Amino acid sequence: MTRRLRRRYAAERRFRLIGMAAVALSAAFLAFLLITMVAQGIGGFTQTRVTLPVDLAAADLPVEPARLKGRGADLALAGAGLEHAVDGAATQAFGADGTDLLSPGAWIVVRDAIKADPALLRGTTRFSLPVASAYDVAAKGEGTPEAEALVTRLKARGVLSTGWNLTFLTDADATDPTRVGIWGAAKGSLLTMLVTLALAFPIGVLAALYLEEYAPKNRWTDLIEVSINNLAAVPSIIFGLLGLAVFLGTFGLPRSAPLVGGLTLALMTMPVIVIAGRNAIKAVPPSIRDAALAIGASRVQVIFHHVLPLALPGILTGTIIGMARALGETAPLLMIGMRAFIAAPPQGLTDPATVLPVQIFLWSDQVDRGFIEKTSAAIIVLLVFLLAMNGLAIYLRNRFETRW
Amino acid sequence: MNGVILLVLIVGLGVIAWATTRMRALGFRRRTGGRVRSLPHHHGWYVALWTAAPPLIFLAFWAATSPALVTDMVLGTPAAGRLPPPGFERAAILSEARALAAGQAHGAFHTLSRTLAPAYATAQTRIDWIATAIVLLLALAGGAYAYLRVRPDFSARTRIERVVLGLLLGASLIAILTTAGIVASLLYEAGRFFAVVPITDFLFGAHWSPQVIDPRDPGASLGAVPLFWGTFFIGAVIAMAVAIPFGLMSAIYLTQYAQPRARRIMKPVLEVLAGIPTVVYGYFAALIVAPAVRQFAVSIGIEWASSESALAAGLVMGVMIIPFVSSMADDSLAAVPDSMRDGSLAMGATPSETITRVMLPAALPGVVGGVLLAVSRAIGETMIVVMAASGVATLTANPFASTTTVTRQIVDLLTGEAEFDSPKTLAAFALGLTLFVITLLLNIIALSVVKRYRETYE
Repeated sequence: MTRRLRRRYAAERRFRLIGMAAVALSAAFLAFLLITMVAQGIGGFTQTRVTLPVDLAAADLPVEPARLKGRGADLALAGAGLEHAVDGAATQAFGADGTDLLSPGAWIVVRDAIKADPALLRGTTRFSLPVASAYDVAAKGEGTPEAEALVTRLKARGVLSTGWNLTFLTDADATDPTRVGIWGAAKGSLLTMLVTLALAFPIGVLAALYLEEYAPKNRWTDLIEVSINNLAAVPSIIFGLLGLAVFLGTFGLPRSAPLVGGLTLALMTMPVIVIAGRNAIKAVPPSIRDAALAIGASRVQVIFHHVLPLALPGILTGTIIGMARALGETAPLLMIGMRAFIAAPPQGLTDPATVLPVQIFLWSDQVDRGFIEKTSAAIIVLLVFLLAMNGLAIYLRNRFETRW
Repeated sequence: MNGVILLVLIVGLGVIAWATTRMRALGFRRRTGGRVRSLPHHHGWYVALWTAAPPLIFLAFWAATSPALVTDMVLGTPAAGRLPPPGFERAAILSEARALAAGQAHGAFHTLSRTLAPAYATAQTRIDWIATAIVLLLALAGGAYAYLRVRPDFSARTRIERVVLGLLLGASLIAILTTAGIVASLLYEAGRFFAVVPITDFLFGAHWSPQVIDPRDPGASLGAVPLFWGTFFIGAVIAMAVAIPFGLMSAIYLTQYAQPRARRIMKPVLEVLAGIPTVVYGYFAALIVAPAVRQFAVSIGIEWASSESALAAGLVMGVMIIPFVSSMADDSLAAVPDSMRDGSLAMGATPSETITRVMLPAALPGVVGGVLLAVSRAIGETMIVVMAASGVATLTANPFASTTTVTRQIVDLLTGEAEFDSPKTLAAFALGLTLFVITLLLNIIALSVVKRYRETYE
């Protein structure tokens, strides 16, 4: 009898342990994923630089200082052979592989310095220039043996330094990993989200109000209800197919544009807002409606003066969660052509653009090793945004949660 | 005048109408001592609506029809006599001329378009003036009609509210329109596909290689069975083998055993797993999990293990689904009446016996419904399989071999360089239709199971 009891208690402990292990393993996976991404991506925010003396006076660039002011400066300096001057200085300083050492965009740093101070043209200046991707990776510890050897030599000479990589936050896509940035994709995401919010929020709230407050119980409203619940569960790629066939195919809207991306994501987000909105509206007690009706308010006044303001925190929480989902969505945007290489931030809603998740997807396909840390760094930025949005949603829910 | 200025004009007229009517309504109020059917701003809104709505509706129609009117006017000019007969070239010249006239282009490829551009500009100006005149007329007529009806005993409020009701109804109809749009566009494009490829070849053919399509028998290389199998294998077998035990045990532990404090912390932590974008999971699967799985396979003696294995994609997808299964299981466990649990415990059963023999059987329909929803989500998941699964369709039950899925193929087919009408791109819509129908069926079954089950305990 006691033996059997002991066995049953052992089974009980085992069961409990398995449960604990399931929770712990799931959390461990999350931690592993986040730590891996941070470890891989943190290097994307820094950049290895090499100090290089460039004798601009000796290079004797054919540049008139008068043209260095205003909008012609980039053009004047681009044609002046600045690249050769920088390459020459690198060969002089570091030998034959000096040219490979510098990032293809290194001369742009020199150009911008000259634009800021034309006096540099008359002397020798020590510039701190970004190194090429292969050496950047080597300096961070995972390069090829040759690159590692050169980096060790340079480190011994004390010319290597590490600094913040501001271009990563301010530039758009590029072919060279030392010059890429996420601002173009971030701006694309922002414009897309604006379109999504401007469409999905009002439509979602109005639809939720209708279904909760007005809708008679009949076949039509059942149909609306079923389609909303079903839309919330349709795979996102199907919305991409809809966007491709209807917005691009039938209406002829421009490909890759934030407008089309926003329209597509709005259709996907609207059901989420409707469902959250209905729950928030349902939670407003009938006594409030009855009180307002009793003193002569009309249905519309009851809804817009009393029910909606009380339900708004709940609706906003649902909206933020829906927007966070839309912000992380990739598949439908691939369908409407947002996978092109776009090296300039979009200027308007109909310009070709890309968004953060798609940028991550595009970089993940690149062969250059320098892109691994850039991809992970972009993931960190995206996750920070998403966590901030979800945190805001939780804060709103706790702050305004009312129990009637 | 262009569209934006017209819009500003209409809105401006609406505001003026609102303000003047409100003043007038305030006037009645003073005269009649407050015995007015509606509030002043109701009257204001009524007249503003009558002022702004008709021109706006007109503009919407005008935007759709006016380009054709402009083109007709241009075709009536003598210079248009030299245009080539209707066809691609004629359309190209006309659109160039339009761009030149609008100032969007600086040069033109065809010389004729430069001659036609002034005609376009005059026609456009004339059409714009006509539009402006009609807008003003409509706004004034509508506004005047409404303004004259505003009297102390006129119930503007009911009329305004009728409009608001229409807006609310319209907003909720968009859901039906979207569903109809999805179904119609998928059916239309898939119909064009099935006109070329017999539906039986597509549904039952076991050979999928869309890169090389024989124009005489396109169905021979467009059999989707390997895709259906791969989708089922990754999404419903491997992913669920991870998600069901982990999700279910997590839910049991968190609802039945954990301290409230631990539960408060762990539940959101698990939910973060559901909030991570799928592109991140896909990258993680391709970068870390797939090489690890391959290495593991090699270490147990499988030499030909693929680095794009079904296992890598399925494992990561399973982890993504864990919070989904656990929250559904959580809900259905919570719906089991306490008396059942208390009864079992009172009879001397241990908590684990109570859970496995009483609560889980009672919660089973809910759990099954949740699992079906999770399967539906897994087979529709795209980015993980695009990044971690292979693009080659093989019929295999070996988790270390490479397989492909429906969603991966849709992305591959539509992001290539193929023209829009080839069987290759249309096949993507046929796959999309299949995916839509299957997930729809799964959702309907799952939701009805969950619903029926909930009713029995209430």
